[in-house]
Amino acid sequence: MASPCSVLVDTDERDEAEALLAIAEMEVRRIEEKFSRYRRGNVVDGINRSDGVPVEVDPETALLIEYAAACYRMSGGMFDITSGALRRVWKFDGSSRVPGPTAVRECLRHVGWQRVEWTNPVLTLPRGMEIDLGGIGKEYAVDRAAARISERTRSSFVVNFGGDLYVSGTRRGGRTWGVGIDDPDRAGESALIRLDVTSGGIATSGDARRFVTWRGKRLGHILNPRTGWPIEGAPRSVTVAGPTCIEAGTLSTLAYLQGSGARSYLEQQAVQFWIV
Amino acid sequence: MAGPPEKRPTVVRDALHTAALALLLVPATVQAADSEAGDKIDLTWLQYGEQSRTRIAEPVVRFTHLMPDGQSFSAQLGIDIITGASPTGALPSGQVQTHTTPSGRVVTSPPGQIPTAPFQDHRLSLDADWKRPLGRLVITTLGGHVSREKDYQSLGANGEVSVDVWHRMMTLTAGGSINHDSVFPVGGTPAGLSDGTILHSSANAKRVGNIFFGASRILSRKWMAGVTGSRTFESGYLTEPYKLVSVMNDNGQPISELTDKRPSIRNRTSLLFSSVYHLTDDVLYNSYRYYTDSWKVRSHTLEIRYRHQLDTDTYIEPLLRFYTQSAASFYTVGLHDGAPLPDFASSDYRLGRLQTITLGATYGFAFDDNPGNWVVRAEYIRQAGDSSPPGAVGIQRGFDLAPPVNIYAIVVGYTFKY
Repeated sequence: MASPCSVLVDTDERDEAEALLAIAEMEVRRIEEKFSRYRRGNVVDGINRSDGVPVEVDPETALLIEYAAACYRMSGGMFDITSGALRRVWKFDGSSRVPGPTAVRECLRHVGWQRVEWTNPVLTLPRGMEIDLGGIGKEYAVDRAAARISERTRSSFVVNFGGDLYVSGTRRGGRTWGVGIDDPDRAGESALIRLDVTSGGIATSGDARRFVTWRGKRLGHILNPRTGWPIEGAPRSVTVAGPTCIEAGTLSTLAYLQGSGARSYLEQQAVQFWIV
Repeated sequence: MAGPPEKRPTVVRDALHTAALALLLVPATVQAADSEAGDKIDLTWLQYGEQSRTRIAEPVVRFTHLMPDGQSFSAQLGIDIITGASPTGALPSGQVQTHTTPSGRVVTSPPGQIPTAPFQDHRLSLDADWKRPLGRLVITTLGGHVSREKDYQSLGANGEVSVDVWHRMMTLTAGGSINHDSVFPVGGTPAGLSDGTILHSSANAKRVGNIFFGASRILSRKWMAGVTGSRTFESGYLTEPYKLVSVMNDNGQPISELTDKRPSIRNRTSLLFSSVYHLTDDVLYNSYRYYTDSWKVRSHTLEIRYRHQLDTDTYIEPLLRFYTQSAASFYTVGLHDGAPLPDFASSDYRLGRLQTITLGATYGFAFDDNPGNWVVRAEYIRQAGDSSPPGAVGIQRGFDLAPPVNIYAIVVGYTFKY
C-alpha cells in the first residue's frame, strides 16, 4: 500500500492480536496484488493493456468499477479513475517541475470516464487510456480488512493504512480510540487535532506527502481531470468521518476536488470534518 | 455507455452511502466460493404427528447440480406416508355412532367424542427446477411438479424472474405457477350435500393459478426487509369428498349426515412482510403474513426466529409462531333438521375458527471428521378451535367440539456437497 499499515486490537491476548493482524495483512496483500496498477498481470493491468478490446471482469472488480462510476456521477465528472493518464507527465516529487501545456493537452485526450463503455461486467477502455483504482483502493482495503477481522473477533480494533482508518467500536471499559490529525508540514511528528473515535471510518485527502511547488504555490497530487492540472486553492488537508472508510475517503476526495469550496461542500453534506 | 456526468448534486452523502453498501455488503471471498461448480445432495426426514389423529412420515431427497456459469439444476423426490384418523366433520352424540367409510369400512365413535375416520395413503412427488442467471443482475427459474396419491393427482409448472436493481440494494421478484389437478375419490364422487349414495365415477378437475410479486431491500449493513404479495385462483372440484356435515334436531342430537359441499371457486390473497436483522454473529428473523380468500377465511401469522451462532458450523435457532384464522362463510357446526339446505356447507375443522401456537428450535451442526452439515428441527404445535361455537344447540353445548390438539414435527436433514 506504499504507506505504513497498522492494526490495533483491544485485547490482552497476544495470539489473538497476531492472528487478526495476519488476516488483515492477507486481505490487504490480496487487494493490492489484484488492483495495484503497478503490478503486471492483474486485472487492472489486463484492462490497461486491453487495447480497446472488451474485457469481462470478475464480480469484485465489477463492484469497484460500479462504485467508481457512481463517484464520477456524484462529482459531476471530477472524480475520474481514468485521470491516471496524467501521471505520465506529472511527477509529485516535491520538486518544481511542471509539464508543458502541449504535454498536458495530449494526456487529456486519454482522460474521461464518459469515453469508457461499461456494461457490467464488460469494460471497453479505448486505446491509450488507463484506469487507476488507487483513489479508492486503500480505503477499500481498510474496510475489507476490517470486515475480515470482524468475522473473527468481538474485541474492538482499528485498521489504519497510512492515515485512512476504520474503528470497530468502543474499547473495553467504554473507552474510545484516539486519532490524531497531522500537521501537514510536520507529517508523522505531532498531531494538530486529537479525535475520540467510537466507530466508523476516518480518511484524509491532502498534499502532505506528494506535491510539486510551482511559482511559489504548493500543488497537491490530486488532479482536475478537466484541466489536467492539480486542484488549486484546496486546503492542505481534508479529514472526514463516515460510516465506512471508503465513504470517508471518497467524501474527503470529493471535497478536496472542490478546491477552495471544500469547506462549504462538506458543510452541505452534514458530515463531521476537519480542515487544516 | 458511461453516460455524461450529471449536474453536480448538492448533497451526495446518501447516494455515496448507498454505493458504499453495494460495494462492501457482498463479502469478496463469498463471491468466489459461489461461482464454484459442484453437486449437492440434501436428505431430509420429516415426522409429523397429531395426538391420536394423523401421522405423516416424509423422506425427501434433493439433488442439485451447480454449473460454473451460475446455472443450477435440481430435482427432488418425496414420499409421504400418511396414516391415522381425521375428524369427519360429523357431530358427536350421546350414543355410539357408526359410519361407513368410502372404502367400505365401518367405524364406530364412542359417545360424546368427535367422530373420526381412519385412513392410510401415500403420496409420491417429483419436482424439478432450472435456475439460470441472465447477466449479473437477473435470475430466471423454471420448474415442474408432479405428484400422485390414491385419489389425487397434481401436475404443475412454475416460473420466476428476479432482478437486482439500484446497485443491487433491492431485488424484485415476479413469478407464477399453474397446476392442473385431478380428484378421484375412492368409490366415486358423492354429490354435495347428499346422503352420499349419489355417486359418479369420473375424475374431477381442479385448476390452480398463482401469481406473485415481491421486493426485498437492503436497508442498512445489518438489515434487510421484504414484502411479497400473492394471488391464487382455484377453480373446479374444491370439495373434500370424505367430509360430512351433521343434520341435528332442535335438541342438538345428530339424526343424519350429509356430504360436504364447497364453492367451485376460491380466490386467495396473501401479503407477507419479512425482516432479517444481522447482529454481530446472530440473526433475527421476523415475519407477518396476512391472508384472505373469497370463502371469507382470514388469517394472521406472526413468526419470530433467532439464530444464535455457536461456532462456524454450529447454531441454534428457536422459533415462535402464532396463527389465527376466522371461519369460512359456509362453515357450520351442523345443519338443522327441517331448515332449507344452504348452497354450501362444511364442518371441516380446517375451515372453522382456529388458533395455533408453535414452539420450536433448529440445531445445526457438523462432525469434524465428516463432510456435510446436519440439521435437527423439532416443533411443538398446539391447535385450538371453538370449543362451544355459537351454532351449537342442545346437547352439543355439553360437548367439547374442538378439544385442543397437540402436534409435533421433527425434521432431520443432512446436506452434502461434493
